This record gives sequence, structure tokens and C-alpha cells, in this order.
Amino acid sequence: MKSELVFVALPISAIVAPSAFAVQYLSVDQAQRAIFPGKSFTAAPVKLTAAQRKAIEQASGVRVLKDEQPVWRVGTGAWFIVDEVVGKHEFITYAVGLNSDGSVKQIEIMDYRETYGGQIRDQKWRDQFVGRTSKSNLKLDSDIKNIGGATLSCRHITDGVKRLLAFYEIALKH
Amino acid sequence: MRSRSNIEIRRCRPLLGTLVDIACQGVPDDIDRAFAAIENVHRLMSFHDRQSDVSRMNRDAFHRSVRIHPWTWRVLKTAQEFSRRSNGVFDITVARELVKWNYLPKAHNRFSACGNWRDIILEDDCTIRFRRPVIVDFGGIAKGFAVDHAVEALKHAGVTAGIVNAGGDLRTFGRVAHVVHVRHPSEPTRVAGAVRLRERAIATSGVYFERRKRRTRYVSPLLDGRTRQSVRELISVSVAAAECIVADALTKIVFAVREKAAALLAHYHADALLVERDGAPSWMFRSPCDTRDQTRFD
Repeated sequence: MKSELVFVALPISAIVAPSAFAVQYLSVDQAQRAIFPGKSFTAAPVKLTAAQRKAIEQASGVRVLKDEQPVWRVGTGAWFIVDEVVGKHEFITYAVGLNSDGSVKQIEIMDYRETYGGQIRDQKWRDQFVGRTSKSNLKLDSDIKNIGGATLSCRHITDGVKRLLAFYEIALKH
Repeated sequence: MRSRSNIEIRRCRPLLGTLVDIACQGVPDDIDRAFAAIENVHRLMSFHDRQSDVSRMNRDAFHRSVRIHPWTWRVLKTAQEFSRRSNGVFDITVARELVKWNYLPKAHNRFSACGNWRDIILEDDCTIRFRRPVIVDFGGIAKGFAVDHAVEALKHAGVTAGIVNAGGDLRTFGRVAHVVHVRHPSEPTRVAGAVRLRERAIATSGVYFERRKRRTRYVSPLLDGRTRQSVRELISVSVAAAECIVADALTKIVFAVREKAAALLAHYHADALLVERDGAPSWMFRSPCDTRDQTRFD
């Protein structure tokens, strides 16, 4: 096996500029097909009441930041949910497939954006990613395809899924 | 080999406590198989899951022999090999300190304040016991092992090129070289450099995201097994090797002993890059074997 290791010097600009590492993995449509291949989907978005929000927060121990949750009903009683989480450095959109008994079938990351903490909490910056099916017009460093040393925890997603399971119990399961 | 489309697909799932990103020239079924291999490793070697081999060992191995899965056995054997070769700098029983510093959840069993890797006894095939009540955590080497197995699964499915990245433990395969960026040690959302890799694994360890203040001093989950002191400098270590499990274990050793790891790196035909807090590379080790001419470093 031939191996090769080359250390590449980057131009100064690359070092000074923030590394806006970003990957779009799946659109909503693609995520649906990845988790439930060959199934049909019916959009069934949920708008939470204040009481429901509180109940979800109490059951999961995780804050609910938005009233509206994009949800699809899948074939025979399963669910497909799109959700977002914000970490210190990252903004992640992901999809969760729930079986008809409410158990998690599969989780797929749809969109991963990473940048400075201050910027990521800025609503204007985040708004640029609304409507993820269309390509973002934000200038991102397209050269960065893989990043090493990224021992980013997936704690925010774990919390997000916890919140969605409570959401299922309170707002979907009837 | 069956014919396949040349479309690159890329998927990412939360596993092994991090985000696992797989890209390859293949079909979704191939990637599903690779994720399934990683899920198996996750199930067997998670410190948090009470049913995992690691949890069963931590609970029972001091009281009786514990039978473990052949994969867990292999990771344990590799860990012991690195402990022996590094004279205990690498030591999976540092889980004790990681629990104490809240990097790992409190175990339900009691464990002693002493003991080290020498207290792990590999008995007959796939059976182990502890001579003292130590606890173990595979940490990064389980991630490295999972990456290696995911690559195996992809190759086995007939995929000719791809990359598997489990939170900084990554491996590339195929004819084309991949460029991997390395984070800046003191500003993790910036990059300090890039490495070009072909048919090679690389693991990067940095203190950046994980440094914490404990009483008056900082601690990090990277520690020297001999002294049980954590490495607190803001540096980042990248090690390239043929296998990801080897690359990961070596980063921990280079972190603790820096240049003194040269002989060990040479033994594993590995390359290493150490980046200091200002983002400048301070030490680089090149494998004396076959990769010398291909390294360019300014």
C-alpha cells in the first residue's frame, strides 16, 4: 500500500479568516428517502401551544426554542421530523424518523454549519439557512471539505432527540 | 466487480459521541453498511451504555472473568500493546481520572485509587479479568477502530474510494489524495493547516474544545498514564498512519511526551505534526519508511 502525506502551507488569508466549515448532506426530500425509502409523506406541521411547550420542556429537560415543528406523516403511522440545534460553534439541521411505536428509526444530519459562537446565535445569520433545499448564498469556504481535530460533541443532537421524543408523546401520539 | 455509478454520496450521523461523516463513490446501501459497523463498535465499547462490553468489564472483571466480543478483545489487545511500548504513557485505566474530572459519568461500582494497565489480564481467547478494581475507557481508540471497520465494510462492498471521519479520527482510501484541514489550537473555529492524505488514516487530538477549569487549574481529558497529570497546553497533535486505531493511540502519546515519541512513531511507520497555540507547527516527524520524498512542509 502506498501512502502519502503532504503538509500544505495555507495562504495567510486562510489562517486569518474564520473557517466557515459547512456541509449540506441531504435536502428534506433526500432525507425522507434515506430514512423511509419508497414511502409516501404527508406534511403535518405542528404549532405548539404554550402549555404543550411547557410540558415538553418538563418531560425532556430541554428548552423548546420554536413553536413550529416541521413534521410529516409517513405511510402507516410513522413520523418524519426536521429539527435544528445550535451549539457553541455549530448550527445543525437534522431529520429524525420515528417508527409507529414512537421509537427512533434513524437520525440523519441534513446540514452542518460551523463558525464563531457570536455569529451563530445571531438570528440574521441563522435566517440565511432557512429553506435548506435551496443552496445558501452565504460565502463559505468551499475548500474545506474535511476537518481534523473536530472532536465536537453531539450532545446538542442528543438533547434535540430527547426533546423530539417528548414532542412525540405530547403533540403527535393520539 | 459490479458496475456502479460514480456519484459521490456523503452522509453524517451522530454516533460514538460525535458526528460521523462518510463520503464515498458508491450507493446508499454501502454507506448504510459502514454505519452499521460503527454502530456495532458503539454498542460494544460505549462507556455510557450499561450493556456494553466496556461497562460489563468495569462492573464485573475484578470479581470474575468476563467474556467479551472479539472486536472488543482486539481493541483491548491493541491498547495493552501501546501501554507496553510507551511504558504506561498510554493507559486506558485513566478512566478513573476522567470520571473524577467529570469527563465521564460516575460509574456505579466502586474502584480503587490505584492500579493501571498492568492490572488488566488478558486470559484465554476473549476472556479478561482485572487484578485490581480499575475501570477502563477506550476513548479515541474505539473511534479509530470503528473508522477502520467502516473502511473495511466499504471496501468489502466494492467501493473503491472514500473517506470516513469520526470527529477528527479519519481514514481515506482510493487513488485520489484527500485534503484534511487541521484546527487552530487556540481558536478551534479557524484552521491552522492542511494535510494531504492518500490511503492513510489521521487522528488529531487537541485540548481546545475540552479544556476545563477544576479548582484553580485547567484539566483536559488528555493525560499521561504514568503521572495522571493532564496535558494543559493548547496544542494540537496530528498523527498519520496506515490504521486509524494506531494513529489515534499515537496522538495521545505524542501529546504527553512530544519528541520522545519519535522511536515509537518510527516503529509504526507514522508521521506526526505538532501545532502550538499560536498556530505554528513546532515539530514534525516523518516516517523513515517510504513517505519521505512526498512530504512538503513550509
